[in-house]
Amino acid sequence: MIQVTKVSKSFETIQAVKDISFSIQKGEVFGLLGPNGAGKSTTINMLSTILKSDCGSIHIDGYDLSENQNNCKHLIGVVPQEISLYDEFTAYDNLLFWGSLYKVPIKELKQRITHLLDLIGLTERKNDMIKTFSGGMKRRINIAAALLHQPKILFMDEPTVGVDPQSRNRIFEIIETLNKQDITIVYTTHYMEEVERLCNRIAIIDAGEIIAQGTQSELQQISNVKEAVEITFKSMSSPQKEKLIELLSFNMNFNSSKVIIECNANKELSKIISACNSSGLIIEDLHLNKVNLEAIFLNLTGKQLRD
Amino acid sequence: MILTILKKDLKLFFSDKKAVLLSFLMPILLISLFAFAFGGTGNNSRKTKPIELLISDIDNSVDSKNVVSKLMSLNEVSLISKDVAEATKLVKKGKYVGVLILGKGFQDSIAKGANLPMELRYDAARQLEMGMLQSVLMQNLMSAIGEKSIKARMNSYFDENFAGIPNTVRAKIFSDMDSGNNMIGETMNPEMGLKMTSVIKEDIKTGNLGLIQAVAGTAIMMLLFSIAGIGGGLLDEKDAGTLKRLLYSPLKATDILFGKMGAALILAILQLIVMFVFSWLVFGLPIFKDITALVLMILATAFAVSSFGMFLVAIAKTRQQLQGLSTIVILVMSAIGGSMVPLFVMPAIMQKIAIVSVNYWGIQGFYDIFWRNLSVIEIVPKMGVLIGIGLIMSLISIQLFKKNISKLIYA
Repeated sequence: MIQVTKVSKSFETIQAVKDISFSIQKGEVFGLLGPNGAGKSTTINMLSTILKSDCGSIHIDGYDLSENQNNCKHLIGVVPQEISLYDEFTAYDNLLFWGSLYKVPIKELKQRITHLLDLIGLTERKNDMIKTFSGGMKRRINIAAALLHQPKILFMDEPTVGVDPQSRNRIFEIIETLNKQDITIVYTTHYMEEVERLCNRIAIIDAGEIIAQGTQSELQQISNVKEAVEITFKSMSSPQKEKLIELLSFNMNFNSSKVIIECNANKELSKIISACNSSGLIIEDLHLNKVNLEAIFLNLTGKQLRD
Repeated sequence: MILTILKKDLKLFFSDKKAVLLSFLMPILLISLFAFAFGGTGNNSRKTKPIELLISDIDNSVDSKNVVSKLMSLNEVSLISKDVAEATKLVKKGKYVGVLILGKGFQDSIAKGANLPMELRYDAARQLEMGMLQSVLMQNLMSAIGEKSIKARMNSYFDENFAGIPNTVRAKIFSDMDSGNNMIGETMNPEMGLKMTSVIKEDIKTGNLGLIQAVAGTAIMMLLFSIAGIGGGLLDEKDAGTLKRLLYSPLKATDILFGKMGAALILAILQLIVMFVFSWLVFGLPIFKDITALVLMILATAFAVSSFGMFLVAIAKTRQQLQGLSTIVILVMSAIGGSMVPLFVMPAIMQKIAIVSVNYWGIQGFYDIFWRNLSVIEIVPKMGVLIGIGLIMSLISIQLFKKNISKLIYA
């Protein structure tokens, strides 16, 4: 559906995006994960035609973006990071305006507005001015405004920024519903949990470069981050350590009275605790190191996502 | 704490170089402009340009030529000879302040001591120049023909009333006159029979000139401010993110600008219509005198003004910049174009500079309709200039907007 090949973009002396390549299949929810300033929005702006890349090529549904901007614009919908709505218009009038830019016949447009207002749960508020809406409600109208022309691809640039948990869940449900309708979604965020919940595949972007991409398990393999149990003992003598090594056949890293055991924690935890007891070790603290995107990102980039 | 706020605000202010420049440049420019307009620059030795006066010497006699030659020698007046019809037309169009007509029988009238067939047809829209001209003319006409005319009149008077008066007595009286006895001079007609005629028809109500000046001048100046404000909505859209969203849609950058220009044009037309209708209802401005000319002039002015407003928007990148820029440009244009002060009270050089201002062409166009009673055809050149200004400003705005659109989004 989307093919990005060796694309770069610079602003004066700053290279915002460096030689990125990725492809997105139809119906996927593709996550662009990276900290602020990583190049996510620049990438979205290039994909959504408002920014020209310095080099490389972008194809959307078979169209070369540089030659078929207008066709591509009809294929894509963009949910911008900013709440890009007219405060003095009602929700309905905003949707009517944004939809009319795509020359949707008025009767059909009105039907779509009714349907989308229902989807985002704001039918009751359709005649209220946007300025009276909460941040979460504005975000939902922001999403609906991008769907009026029924795009095949939806770019969502950090659509949950500044939103309360309840509204965030509502937005997730909307995205899941849209994905069921076979809409391809490109989702940028710096929230791991959003990507983990929503995205089939992920590209980790940092300082304008794609560090890694794939499914979460593929990223786990690439990053070599393994699930582990981290145990701190009250004390640990050499014989106790040797006994533990003898009882457990996992890869273990010892550090003073602490050990990190690489294993499937859910499956092996009781066996590990039993081995510790048999070795005479008194457990002071136990911590499960789950493999998540946070750990993968840390491993791949050497920094926390929210740095 | 206060110092921190103060430092922060100053830092924010000085970070926008263009806005800073405009903030300081604006008052300096305005001071210079008004000082120049009201003749306050340099020392008083500055030479003023002579007033251009048309002359039609129909009599073509020795005495009339004598008057022409006397007037030609003056520094204050520059004479241009034209026939009466053409000269009257030019004055009516506002090209010249007036025409002095020395009628048939001018010389004979002097010899007979009769009223002189002498007429000054003038443009009342140029009151200041007229005042100066009148004073210069009276003074010099008096010295050119006054003595001869008065002596002839007195001889005629003596013949009628004191036929038997000895020639020696008459000679004594004339000798006293020559020696500067003002007693006789006081009895003279101060205008030497000079007939003053405004070229504008009598059907115009008195005071219309001031009204036209007030309506046209103020309307155009306020319109410029309104349009700059409406155009500034584009910068608000940038801040709100809706400009970016508009660009995600199939719209082109130029479509957005054309949309704004269209809205500005419609509002400009509406604003002008409302102002003229108000002036008609409240002040009795005769807006139906030539409705076709008025409608066309409103359209041309609205187009020029709305395009100019959009040009200002295309230059500015922030609301602050637009505010500073529009204030300075509009005030300067309004000052030199005659919106604030009628052009006829300004020095000749300022009247020449005025043609660079949209206000000038608009105001003069409305003068032509309401004051000079010119037909649509005769106003077409001024409308053409306004439309030309509009087209040029639109083209520049489009180029600037296309060039700066990405900067505008990412600024």
